Amino acid sequence: MTDIRLPAEVKHKAELEALAASDNAPRPPGWRLSPRAVETYVMGSDTPVGGVLITPKYIGDRALVQVAIATLASDRALMLVGEPGTAKSWLSEHLAAAISGTSGLIVQGTAGTSEEQLKYGWNYALLLAEGPSQKALVPSPILRAMREGKFARLEEITRTSSEIQDALISILSEKQIAIPELGEGVSAARGFNIIATANTRDRGVNEMSAALKRRFNFVTIPVVEDLEQEIRIVTRREAELRSDYQVGVEPPAELAKVLVTLFQELRAGVTKDGKTKVKQPGSVLSTAEAISVLFNSGILAQHFGDGQVTPEDLVRSLLGAVAKESRDDVKAVREYCETVAKGRAGLWKEFYSAAKRRLNP
Amino acid sequence: MNLDLLRSVHVFPIRHHSPRSSAALRAFLEHTRPSLVLVEGPHDATHLLAALVDPGTKPPVAILGYRVDGEQGSSLWPFATYSPEYVAVKWAAERGARAEFIDIAIGTALAPHEGEVVGHEDLDDPGSEESWAPEHEADEPAAAVAQVQEEEEEAPRVNVYQACAEARGFRSFEEFWEASFEAPAYDPSSFREALIAYADLVRAEGDRLVHRARDAFMARQVLERIEQGIAPERIAVVVGAAHAAAFAAGDVDLSLDECLPAPVPVAATLIPYSFPRLAEQLGYGAGNRAPRYYQRAHDAGCDFQRATLEVLVEFTEHLRLRGFMASLADTIEAYRLAVRLADIRGKAGPGLDEVREATIATLCRGDAAHVDGFLWPAMIGKSVGHVASRIGRTSLQEEFWREVRARRLPASDAPESFTLQLTNETEVGTSIFLHRLRIGEVPYPTYLGTQRGLGGRAARAKQDAALDTQAFLSQVNEAWEAQWTPATDVALVEKIVLGDTLEQVVTRALGERLANAGGAGDAADVLLDAVLTSCPVTVSAALRACDRLAAYDDDLPSLARTTSNVSYLVSFGSTRSRSSVGDQVLVPLARKSFDRAVLRVRQACTGDDEAVAPIKGALRTLHDLATSRPYLDQQAWAEAARDIAETFTVNPACSGMCCGLLYLAQKLDEDEVSRIVGLRLGAIGEPLAAASFLDGFLEVNALVMVKSRPVVEALDAFLAGIAPERFRETLPVLRRAFSRLGTTERRYLLENVLVARRIADRAEAAHIVLLEQDRERLVAMSDELSAAMDDLDELL
Repeated sequence: MTDIRLPAEVKHKAELEALAASDNAPRPPGWRLSPRAVETYVMGSDTPVGGVLITPKYIGDRALVQVAIATLASDRALMLVGEPGTAKSWLSEHLAAAISGTSGLIVQGTAGTSEEQLKYGWNYALLLAEGPSQKALVPSPILRAMREGKFARLEEITRTSSEIQDALISILSEKQIAIPELGEGVSAARGFNIIATANTRDRGVNEMSAALKRRFNFVTIPVVEDLEQEIRIVTRREAELRSDYQVGVEPPAELAKVLVTLFQELRAGVTKDGKTKVKQPGSVLSTAEAISVLFNSGILAQHFGDGQVTPEDLVRSLLGAVAKESRDDVKAVREYCETVAKGRAGLWKEFYSAAKRRLNP
Repeated sequence: MNLDLLRSVHVFPIRHHSPRSSAALRAFLEHTRPSLVLVEGPHDATHLLAALVDPGTKPPVAILGYRVDGEQGSSLWPFATYSPEYVAVKWAAERGARAEFIDIAIGTALAPHEGEVVGHEDLDDPGSEESWAPEHEADEPAAAVAQVQEEEEEAPRVNVYQACAEARGFRSFEEFWEASFEAPAYDPSSFREALIAYADLVRAEGDRLVHRARDAFMARQVLERIEQGIAPERIAVVVGAAHAAAFAAGDVDLSLDECLPAPVPVAATLIPYSFPRLAEQLGYGAGNRAPRYYQRAHDAGCDFQRATLEVLVEFTEHLRLRGFMASLADTIEAYRLAVRLADIRGKAGPGLDEVREATIATLCRGDAAHVDGFLWPAMIGKSVGHVASRIGRTSLQEEFWREVRARRLPASDAPESFTLQLTNETEVGTSIFLHRLRIGEVPYPTYLGTQRGLGGRAARAKQDAALDTQAFLSQVNEAWEAQWTPATDVALVEKIVLGDTLEQVVTRALGERLANAGGAGDAADVLLDAVLTSCPVTVSAALRACDRLAAYDDDLPSLARTTSNVSYLVSFGSTRSRSSVGDQVLVPLARKSFDRAVLRVRQACTGDDEAVAPIKGALRTLHDLATSRPYLDQQAWAEAARDIAETFTVNPACSGMCCGLLYLAQKLDEDEVSRIVGLRLGAIGEPLAAASFLDGFLEVNALVMVKSRPVVEALDAFLAGIAPERFRETLPVLRRAFSRLGTTERRYLLENVLVARRIADRAEAAHIVLLEQDRERLVAMSDELSAAMDDLDELL
């Protein structure tokens, strides 16, 4: 295996097969697993299923995942909304992988997303040579999903222009795409649906129309507030990244705790004990960001340090993550170190002195 | 007695306030057709059953049992239309059967037993132990401690319910109950089996002695009826699941009821109850999470799907009214999603959690705010029950309801706020009524503040601090918030021992305060409260008490308060009548207490800082009064104050304050002030005393002080002159003194210091420092401003 990152359905193939084999609950048409089994796949299970341990993919509210699955079994599409880095795309990938067997039918929403990417395009050489034909048609991921009765994924829907959003309405309500050049249309096979994601920070960029919103059920993915839960997510995902990329060393557990505590306190603008107010930085300090900082410090330690992840490495990676948007954010972290980190014991002491060296101008 | 007979009786297990129990029970009663229905409820309240089923009674209502021996203690037995106990009694009334309560007497339930009261909770309800705790206020700390210990010991048991729910994959016990017992369409016998099986499980975890004793008591009651000649199969017994399970298993020890304590003297009545209170007592009965939702289900023949649809349609309507997009397609989708969710979770039908989650995903587009802000309250409802007129209400209840109706005051169990204009006679009457309730400690009104403007965030602090009665009397409008709760009626029933009318209750309460008054000040406070609540008898009694107490009161703050309150009455020509007293009584009284106070000033001002803290407040009051009331002896005050300012044997903080006060009133000119301040802060004095003087001085009006250049010069010289080794011990007092200065005062101080030291050219640097601080304040302010704008946006 040389791929850096395998799609969910390949990476967790054994789990999915084991679940399918022992799943005897009724499945909605076109689904590879029953809703219950999909839930087990996403949330993980304490006991092995068919001899295979099911790892948790999403750590958080089970009810929310159930609402998402229940929505996908209906004629409504699913919209996952939330702050950046709250695992929206992650959840969308795993849902598509578990239900349709593929998470690859994906359209990335950008300001330049065109209607061709949503519906179909043409192989112009063929088109000019032979005229419109099925062979010359280049189907979009959505068109392919419709034909095959699978899930298509639409990332960052609020980034696309309103024309594209409008085009989506007819796809979602008619469940078919007309190809006038061929004088025919493609109607969705059973099992087709769309999982879209939208970023709440983008609200107002291209606000979705009421008509489009009506085609979706909304599930808000919350920012993790529980310390232990977020530490679990961060360490688990960091370990996964480490094995995927074959690089980095394992950071001590206490360091992960320092990092997540710092993130949560900066995010909330107040320390965990509710006693000290903290200045909030403007950039998004998401769980995903914490994962990458921790991963990054492992690489730093391996290649530029002595093989042990130290607070020094953490501070160095942290700087790049926090200072994305403005210099003021570094100031916020510096203030945090002076008011909060300074007074704490354990690794915090080393963290503070490292931060003092690195962060001061 | 033959326990086996118990098995031939038709025992039906229930959980309080469970619509499914009610539906199954009704079918069960129709099938068995008993001639005697015995219900779990205090047996000495059986006489209230006729009123309970009276067509004039509209649940939710509650039986209120309260102690009449002067001790605190009461308890409630609430009934909703969907409560199985109510359904049983109602069925009996409709079919001509007899209905009786068979549980322990109210007096026994309220009697103390092993550190807490016996109570009437059921084993099969989680959290029931705590839910009633606030009702029985434990007076002695020992009892409270015992109660805490008891709860700690029982903590593992409470977790049995949670464990039971979690084992089946539910998040809470309520969800487990709803999914296992409410949603499935049981027939009576399968429901009975399922519920008894569950109760057996809980009973296996161990049972409290009082529960077992109540098992015995109720079993004895049933057996007595059989002995009286009623055939066992003609009797239906409707009791909590755990009791029913005990009966079914024959696991009853008849001797145990002897361990119950002797009953305390009590009385009982029926009072209105409300849905929000039912919801509050989660744990006492199932379904209380959302009474209105359960009411709907009950009304639809225990059809939860129908209730869900109704709730969703109503919510759609609400969203449209507020200008949100909400289509019928969304409503349908919400319903379908709820059903699918229930299906995924292996439930027979959607419950509260499914409705909530489905609504958020569909109608609310992922935003929980509307659901929590409206849908949830709508599920709970705010209905208030009504009690048939045949239940004699106390005269206080009569008066309360008469006034509330006549004055159109809020009568629902949801807070409503309103403003009274005290310029018209009717609203003054309303104000008096509300103040009487407030002082009589009847929970209903909450005073919000003087104006609507305050009614917003600021007034949320509510009346936690003692309210200043003077502030009340000077107002032209008052903002109130009122909310009827069952506690209102409970209080009205209990207060009847204090009087037949609210005026009598207040007169009595104020009379007690008057009797306990330690000084003239306390009596003067009562005087003002009496005027506020229009209690003429107390007004004259309080006046007499004031007069009497002022004659030998030596407490300066108390005397100052008396003077202040009385002279307030003299000049107040406002909204309320002050009965027959006139200035001819009040002015001499004010003079008397004032003169006496002035004579006590010197003596009061000696003492350490802690002792003079209240004195300083009194000095300011006296000063304000002396300068504003022509009938008081201003000269005497000025002399007394000057004496304090100049004397070194009194507390320096008092000297500082008097000096400041006199300077402010222009009784001392610049020269004199700088002389006194210079003397005080001079090098010969003790630095600590000087700092203390400064503290008192700046407390009066710091701005005026720091604007005076001679004062600042003296100050500067003093600070620069403190020996380094003494500086440290002076520092805390100095810090306190200077912390009184705001930004503006600091700027003046700085400017004057700069001038005094002839370094004004460096003022630029200082100016920048100050500007920086101002900018931060501006930023903070703009945060508040944007928060306000957000609020406005939300409103619009």
